[in-house]
Amino acid sequence: MRRVSIGTVGLLALVLAALVLAAGCGSSGGGATATPGASPTGVVNITMWHGDLDYAAKADNKLVAQWNKANPNIHVTALYNGSNDYALQKTLTAIAGGKPPDITYLFGSWMANIAKSPKVVMLNDLIAKDPSFDWNDFWPAERLAATVNGKVVGLPALVDNLAIVYNKKLFDKAGVSYPTAQWTWDDFRAAAKKLTIPAQKQFGWAYPADASEDTVWHWEAMLWDYNGDILTPDNKQAAFNAAPGVQALGMLGDMATVDHSVYIDTTNTKIQQTFNNGHIGMLVTGPWDLPAFPNVQFGVQFMPANHQTISGPDNWVILNNGADRVNASWAFLKWFTAAKQQMYYDLQTGALPTRQSQQKLQPDFQTYLTKYPGTDLFVKNMGNAVKARPTIPQYSKISTFLGQAIVSVLLGKSDAKTALDQAAQQTNAALAVPGQ
Amino acid sequence: MSLAPDSRVRRALGSDHLAGWMFVAPAVVLIGIFGLVPIAWSAIMSFQANDLVSAPSWVGLANYQALAKDPAFIASVRHTLVYTALFVPLSVAGSLLVAWALNRKLRGVRFYRLAVFVPVITSTVATGIIFLWLLDPVFGLVNYLLSLVGLPEQGFLQDTNQALLCIVVMTVWGWLGFDVIIYLAALQGIPQELMEAAQIDGAGKWSSFRNVVLPFLRPATLFLVVWSTISALQLFDEIYVTTRGGPLGATTVIVYYLYQQAFQFFNAGYGAAIAYVLFMAILVITIIQLKVGGRGVYGKS
Repeated sequence: MRRVSIGTVGLLALVLAALVLAAGCGSSGGGATATPGASPTGVVNITMWHGDLDYAAKADNKLVAQWNKANPNIHVTALYNGSNDYALQKTLTAIAGGKPPDITYLFGSWMANIAKSPKVVMLNDLIAKDPSFDWNDFWPAERLAATVNGKVVGLPALVDNLAIVYNKKLFDKAGVSYPTAQWTWDDFRAAAKKLTIPAQKQFGWAYPADASEDTVWHWEAMLWDYNGDILTPDNKQAAFNAAPGVQALGMLGDMATVDHSVYIDTTNTKIQQTFNNGHIGMLVTGPWDLPAFPNVQFGVQFMPANHQTISGPDNWVILNNGADRVNASWAFLKWFTAAKQQMYYDLQTGALPTRQSQQKLQPDFQTYLTKYPGTDLFVKNMGNAVKARPTIPQYSKISTFLGQAIVSVLLGKSDAKTALDQAAQQTNAALAVPGQ
Repeated sequence: MSLAPDSRVRRALGSDHLAGWMFVAPAVVLIGIFGLVPIAWSAIMSFQANDLVSAPSWVGLANYQALAKDPAFIASVRHTLVYTALFVPLSVAGSLLVAWALNRKLRGVRFYRLAVFVPVITSTVATGIIFLWLLDPVFGLVNYLLSLVGLPEQGFLQDTNQALLCIVVMTVWGWLGFDVIIYLAALQGIPQELMEAAQIDGAGKWSSFRNVVLPFLRPATLFLVVWSTISALQLFDEIYVTTRGGPLGATTVIVYYLYQQAFQFFNAGYGAAIAYVLFMAILVITIIQLKVGGRGVYGKS
């Protein structure tokens, strides 16, 4: 904390220095173009900010090099943004500074925020004019999450979803049969209870309870599975405190405070390690977590009952630096997000296919499934992600209200109905503020 | 004779003042750009409705008026004050004890001094993660030790009543070394003759500590109290890497609330207003501390 003032100033200095550098690279690499758009040589230079490291960055760079070689008129420079967690802040700073990148990687939950910027290129017309782009090839949840008030704000860059990941050894030892696609929530609860052995510090399930969006989206999948909704269809009122929400949160609360079958991590930092060490029977998590479990022989199964899941797609957003650069960015992204290029990326990284047609790309798709055990079910599970979180600017606030409600029930401080009603009241107040 | 060219140069430069300013110019420019500009900018932002994206609009004092009525902000002020009230006396008194113990000729005293200082230079992220595991209610070492001696297991960071206390313990441990260094330096500045004179006058250990050592340490203590108070009021890093303000907001301190408002909810204007309220509070508290504590400081009177 004593470091905070120095740290904050230092961080700011670094961000600014990085921006100056990025801007400098942009213009020097830009063939000394004084005005945005085509240089005298006819080459359009565009910059793409991404958050990939290691093999993922390698895959990006390989694809970009391939593009640059095949397209001498459009030169793409891919730059690491420092971390996707801060991508929105940095993009906004760059927009304010007048030198934004042409393409930037942003989390899906930010779409409603970035959509307010006049710099963002809405993609509806470009998509409509270009049938070969095939927008509907992207999963429904991706399209919903990229759309704000009917405007397409970004192109899907990365997608995932939640399913049950279970430790086979613990199931065998407890004599519980593995989760099936026919499981109900009662089956889930009963299994978690049987898998819980206090003396061995073993739990049936684990729940991230830091009241962040991570806490919330796990529960939202349950809410949808119970046939509930977050908001009313017009996004004007909370709907999560109706009967399905109370049932879903009530069951979660009972598992935590009656069965004691849930390892509750209020700091949301220890669940992966605990599962990998064989203390947790089941997790509800996504494909990104699988590499963190080398010690566990795990299986993957759909969510219980209706198999409803939630998907967290991230997007590429195009920023307007003049018509030439927008067209160049579109041309590049169209190629970059096409099935063939995405399949290459997924083969290198284990990320889920962003396009449905990737499943037809053989033998690559089969190689991919063999290379990344467990992803098979996550790919199938994309079809179960049919709803999306509301793409409205107030969502981040609603998420904190829900986060508090869920954690207060998990810790036994409140019952489901009271907690959700309070969150609904706060949500309705936030939604009533005009001009957002 | 050889002084002539030198003084000409000096005249050419105008005065010592100019030379001095030139020496500090790089720092002044950096502090100006990265310190003063943001300070002025956030002052402006605190009178705006600003989401960092769309064009800001002027709202006058509305942000400040909203703050006064915001129960979450008031709770964060309460948490910050409780934290400060515990952290400052504990770390100042604790460091005095440790410095006193380390200010003698011991075998390996250098090692002990180093050991006390290591937490200060260890990254907050690393110490945060260590404490998360030590204090884990299920798998943590601390609860294991408690169970060995037959004491009930605790929730620690997971318990809304204990989390802030755990943060106090964590930060006192983490920052004690800094205070110890200051106190060690001050202790070593006490003239040996005075201690001897006190002993000759018949002062015992406690009496010479009270009447000789403590007055000598007063400037260091004043500095540490002011410095620790400012730091405590600005607590953020440790919260960010451990509890993230939870559970259920129990450790949401002012700066963490500011961060949430500005960078999670994109209420940058509101966040700036929080920053200015905190700034004014720190200013007032520091002035009071300096006024009260500065009276009768040795060497000043």
